[in-house]
Amino acid sequence: MHNTLNRFQSVFGFFTTVAFVLGCFIAATDFYAERAPSGTLKVSNLQVVKGRPHYYSSVQEEYAIIKFSLDADLSHLFTWNTKQVFVYVTAEWPAPKSGVNATNEAVIWDSIITNPSADHLKNIGPATMKKLKKSAQGKTIAPDRGILSLRNQRPKYQITHPSRKIADTENVKLKLHYNVQPWFGLLTWNQNQDIGFWKAIKGGVSAPFSLPSIKKKN
Amino acid sequence: MAEELLDQVRDLVDGVIDFDGQRRAEVFATLLLAVSGLLAFNVGYTKQDILLALYIGGAGTLLTFLVVVPPWPFYNRNPVKWLPAGSRAASTG
Amino acid sequence: MLSMLQKPRQAAAQVLNFALILSSAFMMWKGLSVISDSPSPIVVVLSGSMEPAFQRGDLLFLWNRNLLQDTSVGEVVVYNVKDKDIPIVHRVVRKYGEGEDAKLLTKGDNNPSDDTELYARGQDYLVRKDIIGSVVGYIPFVGYVTILLSEHPWLKTVMLGVMGLFAILQRE
Repeated sequence: MHNTLNRFQSVFGFFTTVAFVLGCFIAATDFYAERAPSGTLKVSNLQVVKGRPHYYSSVQEEYAIIKFSLDADLSHLFTWNTKQVFVYVTAEWPAPKSGVNATNEAVIWDSIITNPSADHLKNIGPATMKKLKKSAQGKTIAPDRGILSLRNQRPKYQITHPSRKIADTENVKLKLHYNVQPWFGLLTWNQNQDIGFWKAIKGGVSAPFSLPSIKKKN
Repeated sequence: MAEELLDQVRDLVDGVIDFDGQRRAEVFATLLLAVSGLLAFNVGYTKQDILLALYIGGAGTLLTFLVVVPPWPFYNRNPVKWLPAGSRAASTG
Repeated sequence: MLSMLQKPRQAAAQVLNFALILSSAFMMWKGLSVISDSPSPIVVVLSGSMEPAFQRGDLLFLWNRNLLQDTSVGEVVVYNVKDKDIPIVHRVVRKYGEGEDAKLLTKGDNNPSDDTELYARGQDYLVRKDIIGSVVGYIPFVGYVTILLSEHPWLKTVMLGVMGLFAILQRE
């Protein structure tokens, strides 16, 4: 500490240690915050159409358009350390061939819900940004953004299968998932069992359904 | 001439403080940084505001740098009493 | 600093000290690589394709072992396009099948469409082998220094200059 440079290095070194320990403490508080998410999923409309993957492809594929309704309560996921919650609905179905324990899973819809502390990072236009920031009403965390209510929601993605056929698939289920992105620490997803203060999603799975055949044009 | 200028710059960069000052500087650094870390965490957690925690931690660190790094005069209250050069009382060897 | 040449033993000791620090850092990096089974266990985010989750300069911790379950839909993975050395950090959106041969499709959160166009010609899906790790942890901002240094190489010269200046101006 006999030298200005020495003192600067020493303070900076200790600062990085304190910053890292502080970050670990912040990440640890997440494990003590209770999580009890819940959701209900219902299919509202089903359709299978033929289409091409790109305008220049010669092959045709079958695409499934699954419209759904969702009611979810993900408010517990928004703590001070939450940067954003990535919510996504997947369609899951077992492989038709017996023997192999194979499942197919594809995302049909997703949404990014930011905490007010991360609003400025979202890539939306200035008018929408203003509306988003105002909706937080000066609060630092926004659990009410975690309450979702969608009716007859059009899916973002039309799904297919590598075999290019998806019509008449049976035992398809819609499942609700989430991925919590923290400001510091571990990324977490929805879990299948209760771990400590965190509970698995209550509900969050739709009743099984079958995809229809391709609509024949008259 | 160049040697004198270099010496002056060296003095500036060195920022010598006495031994007692060094000990006190180290204590200040540890205390101030630890306290700002704890304060940042507690205030941020109570108010559930991570940006606030960041600002408090940052402000505390800046304060620590200002207090500890420059050679303030209160670090030099017990200057080392060097013996005059070439004095007979210097030890052998 | 010129006195270094007059004291070879002290100079050698300093060089060895420096080498010790460098090799310890290298050992820790490689050790982490072995534990996580990933060639690059810590990566810096370079593009904005995963915004607002990840910004340029964020640090990501990767894990490449499937201890509890397969790499599944929703995970954020880092993969290399075949024969190219560009690592891409995107989210898995589709998975067909199980195990090593499962077909995976990825997409950046901030991209309107999936990664089919980024894959090699004739490749429509990724397999588990293409993935070099799954993101498990995250630290914001700290990697931005590496981006600055690689995009503005003159900064490296400035840094070395400043360090050299301090070395000369210091008293023994």
